[in-house]
Amino acid sequence: MHDTMLNYGRYRYLWIMLLLLLGSLVAYIWHFPIGRPNGGSWLGYTLGTVGAILIVWLMLLGIRKRRYASRVGSVRGWTSAHVYLGTSLILVTLLHSGFQFGWNIHTLCFVLMLMVVFSGFFGVFAYLRYPALMTTNRQNTTRDQMMEEITELDKSALTLADQVDRSIHDVVLRSVQRTKLGGNFWAQLTAKDRSGEAVLKLRQAVMSHKPNQPEKKASGGQTLVMMVDFIGQTANDQQAESLRRLLDVMCRKQSLSTRVARDIQLSALMEIWLFIHVPLSFGLLATLIAHVFSVFFYW
Amino acid sequence: MKWLIRRVIKKGKGTLQYEEDIHYGEELDIGRGADQAILVTDLRVALEHVRVRAISGGKKYRIESRIAAGVRINGHIEQTATVGTGAYLELGSLRVTLIEPPAGYEAAVEVAPVDKSEQAARVEAERLPNTLLETGLSKRRPSWLLFAFFLLIGLIIPLLTHYVPSVGKTMRGTPLSTTAWETGELAAPHHYFGQDCTQCHENGFVSAKDEQCLTCHERTQAHADPKIYANFELADADCAYCHRDHNGVDGLILTNQSLCSDCHADIKHRTNNVSKLANVSDFGTDHPQFSVNLPAWNAAGEFVPTRVSMDTKLVENSGLKYPHDKHLGAVDGLNSPRGKQILTCDSCHKPEVGGAGMAAIDFETHCQDCHRLTFDSLAGDRQVRHANVPEVLAQLQEYYAKRALDGDYEEAAAPSVVRRRRIPGAAAAAISADEKRVALDWARGKANLVTRTLFEGKACVVCHTVQALPASDEGMLRYAVKPVRVAGVWYAKSEFTHAQHQSGSTLQGGGTLDCGSCHAADRSTTSANVLIPDIANCKSCHAGEGAKGLLASTCIDCHGFHQTPFPLKLRTEARANKSAPPAAAVTPNTKAAP
Repeated sequence: MHDTMLNYGRYRYLWIMLLLLLGSLVAYIWHFPIGRPNGGSWLGYTLGTVGAILIVWLMLLGIRKRRYASRVGSVRGWTSAHVYLGTSLILVTLLHSGFQFGWNIHTLCFVLMLMVVFSGFFGVFAYLRYPALMTTNRQNTTRDQMMEEITELDKSALTLADQVDRSIHDVVLRSVQRTKLGGNFWAQLTAKDRSGEAVLKLRQAVMSHKPNQPEKKASGGQTLVMMVDFIGQTANDQQAESLRRLLDVMCRKQSLSTRVARDIQLSALMEIWLFIHVPLSFGLLATLIAHVFSVFFYW
Repeated sequence: MKWLIRRVIKKGKGTLQYEEDIHYGEELDIGRGADQAILVTDLRVALEHVRVRAISGGKKYRIESRIAAGVRINGHIEQTATVGTGAYLELGSLRVTLIEPPAGYEAAVEVAPVDKSEQAARVEAERLPNTLLETGLSKRRPSWLLFAFFLLIGLIIPLLTHYVPSVGKTMRGTPLSTTAWETGELAAPHHYFGQDCTQCHENGFVSAKDEQCLTCHERTQAHADPKIYANFELADADCAYCHRDHNGVDGLILTNQSLCSDCHADIKHRTNNVSKLANVSDFGTDHPQFSVNLPAWNAAGEFVPTRVSMDTKLVENSGLKYPHDKHLGAVDGLNSPRGKQILTCDSCHKPEVGGAGMAAIDFETHCQDCHRLTFDSLAGDRQVRHANVPEVLAQLQEYYAKRALDGDYEEAAAPSVVRRRRIPGAAAAAISADEKRVALDWARGKANLVTRTLFEGKACVVCHTVQALPASDEGMLRYAVKPVRVAGVWYAKSEFTHAQHQSGSTLQGGGTLDCGSCHAADRSTTSANVLIPDIANCKSCHAGEGAKGLLASTCIDCHGFHQTPFPLKLRTEARANKSAPPAAAVTPNTKAAP
């Protein structure tokens, strides 16, 4: 069975989390506070201390995972514990508060904590699912290899295009210059891929040789049909051959570009949640300090 | 137009060799085609790629791309540009720099190869970011920002509003003040000053002190006599022990049993055997029998009710003789001067304003309708006053004196002067001194007779205990009536509200909740019965906190805490008393000189 952060140590931390949750729940049910359950009863203080220590320890993962020489547990173990104990925080803090909420710094702390935990849930999902998708997408190559191949294909495309016609070469040259993979974070996350445009431009160029062709709706698939027609009707064998090979190259480039864009997207997805998870956790830390300070300042 | 084309050829070890060529023409064409002025053999270049023109005498050049793909001018791909000298074009692996034409030429270009590393560097520089880190997204900066931001608005600014009054006033009521630190809504009355937290939380890290509570709640009473219970830890319990604010608009008064039973479950030990109260912890399972205030009078005749436990069957000494059964039991009503009247509980027992207890029973209002105090059948509409014995005695004496002197009193045994009807104005109306004496003698005797009849015969004695006193010097009969206490406070240490129990609700065991459910009045033959119910009666509906199948009642449902007439002693004062040494018994040394 595939080793993941969830089943590390035969689900050791899952059991620890369940134990913690069960203990908290039992204590909460059996405890009869004066008035309503709240963070200031002895159980409230206990659960609050547990929660605060948990939050600080959870944030220490960032330090532990960068201390390569450390032998205090393994990073895999820490990560597994981080996921489960982070999840347990939801119930622990809910019980600590006695389910009391209001428009104050304390509920803000809770809300920030929830945002951190839920962004973490996305992280777990991403880490469990996307690597397999990336491997499948890469089909036994690496991103660098794919991008090198695209560069090579660009060169072949130029050569072939030149053999067909100068206007085709022009189109191919422009597409080579303009097609860039990646971009800003939104372009990366949405797998922006301009390779389809290149094929469309090619179609237009081909069409300009055949003014009587009815205008068909631009699409990649149509372009191939266009090109096949062109091949069939062009007298020059060499041109036809070059165009066919150019077609192959462009299609292969398009499929590679799509895969590279998807690869970029998947790794961006695997990274983006941390840009939310980590800053929010520091916001949480500040709010936690304010929360603990204020309840003792105005005891 | 004479163009200079200078080619730079890189020989090994960084040495350069120049080759110069001349081109004639208005335009300089560059491309892969053989007809181009500058030939570039690179597939990244079109056959006819770009055209360059010199304008303003070699100072400026106009560059036009002849293909849709454009050309790289000064590092950026453009379609056209007008540039000065120093600008360069990049086609494939060649860089064509437009230079100042030397003497003899109108325009000049320098063509140099771009080496591979430079090309690679340019490709790398133009490459779009393909990881998130390369986009400049950062975790560190936002982390610091968020940390600083929340610390500022959550801790630093609120703290400032606490310590710096001017900041506090400005920010009052805003989320930047310490109002953001509220752990729950304040009790409704405390909203009055609640935006200023320092009203109760004067100092940091110290809980709200009693002094702050007593700023407004000055007249709060103590729970127990502070002198007797000075050493008792009650003095240590501060207001906030039981009254926890920030628990909602109505959360200030806590009803938990444990707040009381913590001490009262073992009150003797807790008070070092000073308290004589029984141990209580829960109404349903651990509450002593009720004690009621029974009417009693001391030797001086003062009313001093005694608190007696209802453990034994109690006898009430109200001073009144009253059988409830006779009054309530008549099926078709009692004979009254106004016909048949059916009496019910509320014919006499009306709740007082507020509905807690019952209004006092009043002879004139409730009884006199039937129990009339007439004294003379010849004057059926006259009644003596009730309750004022000397007044009654005097009244009767005065009445008969007048009747005697007026005459026309038709009683056979009376002397003639009394019986005689004297016509006003006639000479016969006057009576002699002798007759007057006879009349007054008769009057005195008659008054005494009627007095005795009333007190010992048909009126007072029916309901009261009458004691004959020695006659006065003038021979006037005198009586004393034992004092009567009918209604009063029975449960001195608890509060019972009739209004809440008069709903007429259906009881679990059948029947409805009405007077007879608790008060066995219709079976009571004498007023010596104490008709106040004991704890067993209440326990048929009520039990303690956490009761199942019965009403859950906690201590403060019936009892109060701040109930003594003594003012609440502050903790600091009480502690000072506790720790103060006993008053010095040793007198100063006053050894007299021998």
